[in-house]
Amino acid sequence: MSKFQGQESYGNQLNYELLPFSFDRFNDDEYILTNLAGEHLMMSAADLPTLINRGLDPSHHQFASLRSKHFIRYPEEQAPLSLLALKVRTRYSRLPPFTNLHIFVVTLRCDHSCPYCQVSRQMEGEGAFDMTQEMADRALDFVFRSPNPAIKIEFQGGEPLLNFDMVKYVVTEAESRNQQMGRDLQFVIATTLSLISENVLAFCKEHSILLSSSLDGPKDLHNANRPRPGKDSHQRFEAGLKLARESLGYDQVSALMTTTDRSLDRVRDIIDEYLRLGFNGIFLRALSPYGFAIKTKKFMSYDAGRWLEFYKEGLAYILELSKAGIPFIEQYTALVLKKMLTSEDPGYVDLMNPAGIGIAAIVFNYDGAVYASDESRMLAEMGDESFKLGNLLTDSYEQIILSDRLLDALDESFTLSAPMCSECAFEPFCGADPVYHHAMYKDVLGRKAESPFCQRNMAIFKHLIELMRNDRQTRDIFMEWANGC
Amino acid sequence: MNSVNLIFDQRLYGAEAIQKAAYRGQHAFTLDLQVEGEAFSCTLLGNITTAPAAFDKAVEDFKKDVLDYQLRSKLRAETEAVRNLILGVAFSKTGLV
Repeated sequence: MSKFQGQESYGNQLNYELLPFSFDRFNDDEYILTNLAGEHLMMSAADLPTLINRGLDPSHHQFASLRSKHFIRYPEEQAPLSLLALKVRTRYSRLPPFTNLHIFVVTLRCDHSCPYCQVSRQMEGEGAFDMTQEMADRALDFVFRSPNPAIKIEFQGGEPLLNFDMVKYVVTEAESRNQQMGRDLQFVIATTLSLISENVLAFCKEHSILLSSSLDGPKDLHNANRPRPGKDSHQRFEAGLKLARESLGYDQVSALMTTTDRSLDRVRDIIDEYLRLGFNGIFLRALSPYGFAIKTKKFMSYDAGRWLEFYKEGLAYILELSKAGIPFIEQYTALVLKKMLTSEDPGYVDLMNPAGIGIAAIVFNYDGAVYASDESRMLAEMGDESFKLGNLLTDSYEQIILSDRLLDALDESFTLSAPMCSECAFEPFCGADPVYHHAMYKDVLGRKAESPFCQRNMAIFKHLIELMRNDRQTRDIFMEWANGC
Repeated sequence: MNSVNLIFDQRLYGAEAIQKAAYRGQHAFTLDLQVEGEAFSCTLLGNITTAPAAFDKAVEDFKKDVLDYQLRSKLRAETEAVRNLILGVAFSKTGLV
């Protein structure tokens, strides 16, 4: 007796049921469809109404794909529901563990005076802008209230190395407390590397501290963007990078770049500089509407459209390099691709829904103020305390985490109930970013039809899909990026 | 100022589809929506900053968007129960609901 059912059991049935999905016009002739888990499919404009009216013939060339990606099912099938539920659960699996990233602003002092800086820096030598031991202790009390089994503590400034004693205190105290708590503890210092020394590196090595730095491009561009006494930011970065890699290991130092108006025509030079210095990727980052970037009008120096040209040119160059056998990634693209091509969420705060503020990352300022995100404290430095959740000296963990300011912002910006976003096919790839929209429009939701955040991300999503459709090799490269970050 | 009047039959289109489409086009125009007998009368007024060519394109997009939102409404109604079922299963035993 055969173990298989008869041939008739495998034939196409005429009646299918629709599963929940979203769709949007991709171009004049095609729509993009995304299911609840973010898997996507392209379909001709002529076929979409037929699909929704349940008139698509089983012999249609996309019928099998529609079934396998859970856009439709046959009435008796249960597996598509179970699989969709599993994928949705996986996408949101970062929510239950709660806050992972805890940012300690140990000082506002800085040896740089970058005109696009998003923080209100202070001059060197002004100790009034340093975090005190009492604040650090209170912040650590808060950190270990997070239920997350993995805790990352990131030191920011100003320049954190100007208050390195406090960095050392927090690290040793956190490690001491962690002997009881047993968390997976990780430390990062965000530094320009201009003040790095062998003493600092010895401590970093002993405590496995990663360094996150800044590199805006070749020497002339970097130094123009990042003024400091001596006009030697780039030279100090390069020397510090060499020293840090020798001490900590080659891959223990990362770098971030910021796009200014000076960068726009030089994306290849910038990428070449990253390659020359041995980095295997770059984050082509647009300016944000916070802090000094607003005060000095740097934020206004280019629009979303111009930045997109810059990004696309850079991505094309990176793909050229990859195809020539030089492994190099664009990190924002890799984050988006992870959301687009896998069931995982990379946990990038700007592209999370619910928003990542407070529940994925939280900031302790030098003065005890607690902010919902790094961008929130940048806003506060400019006089807008909308996302100041409380103070370590006066408020409890519960008061801060359950504050109306945080919960209202999360609730009101939730994309699955937001106008336009809730029915947008690109929603699974995107995020809420209430702080950005508040900074732009004084409204955590913002009007997405006018939002540069929406314009920029929609254009990126479409561009990446086009690139994958047009070139098999690019698709393979993108799959590697998606599964690597 | 750019302006155009469009009529939609109430038997074929819902007010929500028209409103959603207008929301999506607000970077280019504002909507004045009125019920006239069996029809919705939509007057689209171009924003001060909207050039004539951009307004024409926005009106074209608006018409397509109304159709899209009407179709989305049908899809949503038909899949609402199964959507809730899937989300219920996805978040069961997570402590999130």
